Amino acid sequence: MFLEQLINGITLGSIYSIVALGYTLVFGVLGIINMAHGEIFMFGAFVGLLIVSKAGAPLPVAFLGAIVVTASMGLLLERFALRPLRTRPGASHLASLISTIGVSILLENLAHKIFGSGNHLFETPFAEISFKIGPVTVYLVQVLILLISLLLMAGLALWLSRTRAGKALRATAENLETAGLLGVDTNRMITATVVIASAMGGVAGVLVGMAFNYINNQIGLSMGLKGLAIIIFGGMGSVYGAMAGGLILGLSETFVVAYGSSGYRDAIAFVAIIVILLIRPQGLFGQAPAEARR
Amino acid sequence: MKRKERLFAVLACALFAFVFMGAEKANKAAKPKGEPIRAKIGVISIITGAGASYGEAITNGFKLALDEVNAKGDVNIDLKIEDSTGKAEQALSAAQKLINSDQVVAILGPTLSTEMKVVAPEANASGVPIMGTSTTAQGITQIGKFVFRNSLPESQAIPASVGKAVKKYNIKKVALLYGNDDVFTKSGFDTMKEVAEKLKLKIVTIETFQKGQADYKAQLTKIASLKPDAVFCSALYNEGGVILAQARKMGLKVPFVGGNGFNSPKVIEIAQEAAEGLIVATPWFGEKNDPKVRAFVAKYEKAYGKKPDQFAAQAYDAFHIMANALKAAGSADRSKLRDALAATRNFQGVLGEFSFDAERDVVMAPNVLIVKGGKFTLFN
Amino acid sequence: MPLEWLNPYHLQVASFMLINAILGVSIYVTLSTGQLSLGNAGFMSIGAYAAALLSTQHQVPIPVGIVAGSFLAGAAGILVGIPSLRLSGVYLAIATLGFGEVLRAVLINWESLTGGAVGVAAIPQMGRVILAWASDRGFSPGSLGLQNNQFISLTVFLILLLCTLLTVAFFLRLSRSRVGRAYAAIRLDESAAEAAGIPITYYKVLAFSQGALLSGLAGALFAHSTSFVSPADFTYHRAVEILVFAVFGGSEHIFGPVFGAAFLTVVPEALRSISDYRYILYGLLLVLMMVFRPQGVIDPPLLRRFRRSSEGTPA
Repeated sequence: MFLEQLINGITLGSIYSIVALGYTLVFGVLGIINMAHGEIFMFGAFVGLLIVSKAGAPLPVAFLGAIVVTASMGLLLERFALRPLRTRPGASHLASLISTIGVSILLENLAHKIFGSGNHLFETPFAEISFKIGPVTVYLVQVLILLISLLLMAGLALWLSRTRAGKALRATAENLETAGLLGVDTNRMITATVVIASAMGGVAGVLVGMAFNYINNQIGLSMGLKGLAIIIFGGMGSVYGAMAGGLILGLSETFVVAYGSSGYRDAIAFVAIIVILLIRPQGLFGQAPAEARR
Repeated sequence: MKRKERLFAVLACALFAFVFMGAEKANKAAKPKGEPIRAKIGVISIITGAGASYGEAITNGFKLALDEVNAKGDVNIDLKIEDSTGKAEQALSAAQKLINSDQVVAILGPTLSTEMKVVAPEANASGVPIMGTSTTAQGITQIGKFVFRNSLPESQAIPASVGKAVKKYNIKKVALLYGNDDVFTKSGFDTMKEVAEKLKLKIVTIETFQKGQADYKAQLTKIASLKPDAVFCSALYNEGGVILAQARKMGLKVPFVGGNGFNSPKVIEIAQEAAEGLIVATPWFGEKNDPKVRAFVAKYEKAYGKKPDQFAAQAYDAFHIMANALKAAGSADRSKLRDALAATRNFQGVLGEFSFDAERDVVMAPNVLIVKGGKFTLFN
Repeated sequence: MPLEWLNPYHLQVASFMLINAILGVSIYVTLSTGQLSLGNAGFMSIGAYAAALLSTQHQVPIPVGIVAGSFLAGAAGILVGIPSLRLSGVYLAIATLGFGEVLRAVLINWESLTGGAVGVAAIPQMGRVILAWASDRGFSPGSLGLQNNQFISLTVFLILLLCTLLTVAFFLRLSRSRVGRAYAAIRLDESAAEAAGIPITYYKVLAFSQGALLSGLAGALFAHSTSFVSPADFTYHRAVEILVFAVFGGSEHIFGPVFGAAFLTVVPEALRSISDYRYILYGLLLVLMMVFRPQGVIDPPLLRRFRRSSEGTPA
């Protein structure tokens, strides 16, 4: 059973990681928490479902479609719920938090109107491909999810540290006005960040559909809250922290069920953040103390 | 700018006052002699929100029965439907509105047990008969002598399905799986555990899940590794369908036994082939070879374009029970109606023969069904 | 003279309005030091469960249970507040959100105490208890021209009104006292306040636990008006709803959240037909308020103008 649970935990953890990467990217650049990220992720899952199960198109089309839709949602989110707050003098960080909470409530209930409240079957032949390692059955989807999450992490880390655009992004993160004076189009950089983060949410959504075969309009809220816990645990704005935090959470949730009681499964994430905030407020991989950002 | 702001504030206050004063309609029930007994009956149901699919089936069942009853001419019922959105506070406000503003003679609903536990004490204190058609938790009708229900509680459904399955498959070791954040599934689990202990089954593990969860693999892997003879699962069809699908996919092939909540054509829709072999206990069996059932199914399908589920059937029967009691009471009087309701025995409905016991709870024999060939069939 | 116009339905809605107003004030108090707490649904559940369990299992008189529930929530507020001092802004919001979720998991899993998802039923309802007590002493609501259920609803409403008025009066006075000025100073600039010699640790924890205590009070009153509580009453959505009261009504003056709570309780009740879109509207409302009027509908300049115009016109 140990090996099977290990695979379950890694699969769950990789999905958590991808969701958390989306949060961490936006926080790293804008210093705000995008509470609507979970719901954007859920829309990605539903778009994937419509393309694969309803229209019968192949998987790559589903990924593409989910990315297009979630990226546009990111664009709209930035334009209408974030940018107006940025140009207002003296707006606090709480304003963007509250505004994105608003977007998340809006999207969750919109999804309920559009897709209904029940579970939807996410059917794709790819999800049925499996192979055996000894006594353990491994699904190709599970390997794919781990690979994609690692790729996204590595890609992001490289992009941020090595490319020109990445440097401009970090400059924007460091100081908005100075970066602007130095010729960085900060509005464009910020929009790009939110769009990329949202597109990653879309990818994660399709992967969840493939891994669990079912989606509903509540997964945004539950995954979103977990993703939030992970970035606090791993360290806000840290790419490696999101990856490690996601895997740690996925594994501990799985093993608490396997060797303990399943009742507290959903509470682990929050117990973890309360503990980490008490002993190491900057998180596992965070550099700056919490006070530095506010 | 200043003027605009003040206007805004004044408007907001005016709207506020208007809203609070408005919506006052006092109606007195008229009762001419020789005419049909006229009565206003209130319905509290989930019209909007997460549980709206249950509420829709329930109100459809009421409306179908309403047309039949009024066409017959002994009683003439005016139905007042209020939305609870699935929330206890909203349900309580709706009940107060029906009891005091609309002056209804009785209330049908609300949908959820959590709502009923808030609404029933109020109705009982006001002397208004209230009958739940979908509330299955323990301790509902014990709230007071004006509280009734016609929905079979899980404490009666589950022993039936578990008993039959244990006998047929010679089950010795079981795993229990239930949703621990919902009254319905938790009540069902309590019964399951009791029955399993009474039958001296070995419980290898007890696992829980939460509403709307997407991934049940950790729990199912653990259950599979303990090799039980069967899984007793207290779930509503939405989560239940996904659990079945994920269990079968990972090779957990033992029988799954559930209660009334697991019983819905939706389970087959969600789990598809994985639903095969699921055993449930329910008073409602749509394929039953009974003229009453067939007529109801045909009528319902014609009116709403889909097959009725247990919620629609329970609502349909509840309305007829209420109408019969009203006729027996002779007038639209709350106390007389209560006494007539409490005296209901051997009512023949689409759910079979129905009586209230001394505590106004259900006396009914459930059918045990198994999913075979993509539909529910009788399990023998 | 029969008081037929006194409709228990309207009193019921008004009662929920008052409970929500207390919840609105609870988030306002913590916000007035610049701290955003999303844990108020959790503190509310502490008050509700404490009051419910004390009265159903230990036969403690209702007022004692309500006070005990409020102070237990307040104490929990201190416990959560002290470590949370190291956090600010979004960290605090997320940590308190986590606190609420953990608390709900505890309510669901600690079955021997809380009954799990089944909740606590048959909690004595304030109005019915008072009626029974008065009837024992030969009083009949009929002597006031009231029906029994009118009397019950009216007593609940009056008790809640008293609690709300006392709460608002207390915090209105507080805002003009040294404490209130310290809160405002911390909200405007924490470092400057600290430099000016204000013990910000003390005041932040004080504000946090005052908010928790109020949430607990609202919870306890909720339990004794609905006679049933379950973990489903205290979800993330409740926390957001409380936040909406303050954001919509305004978080710069105590009348803001009170107005927000009252307005947002009554409007959906009157417009039951649009309740389908209620949360969609809430979501839009949050975004629009942040973009166009982040201080909420009611702010001090608006109140000043009202005061001036009412003084200016002879009655």
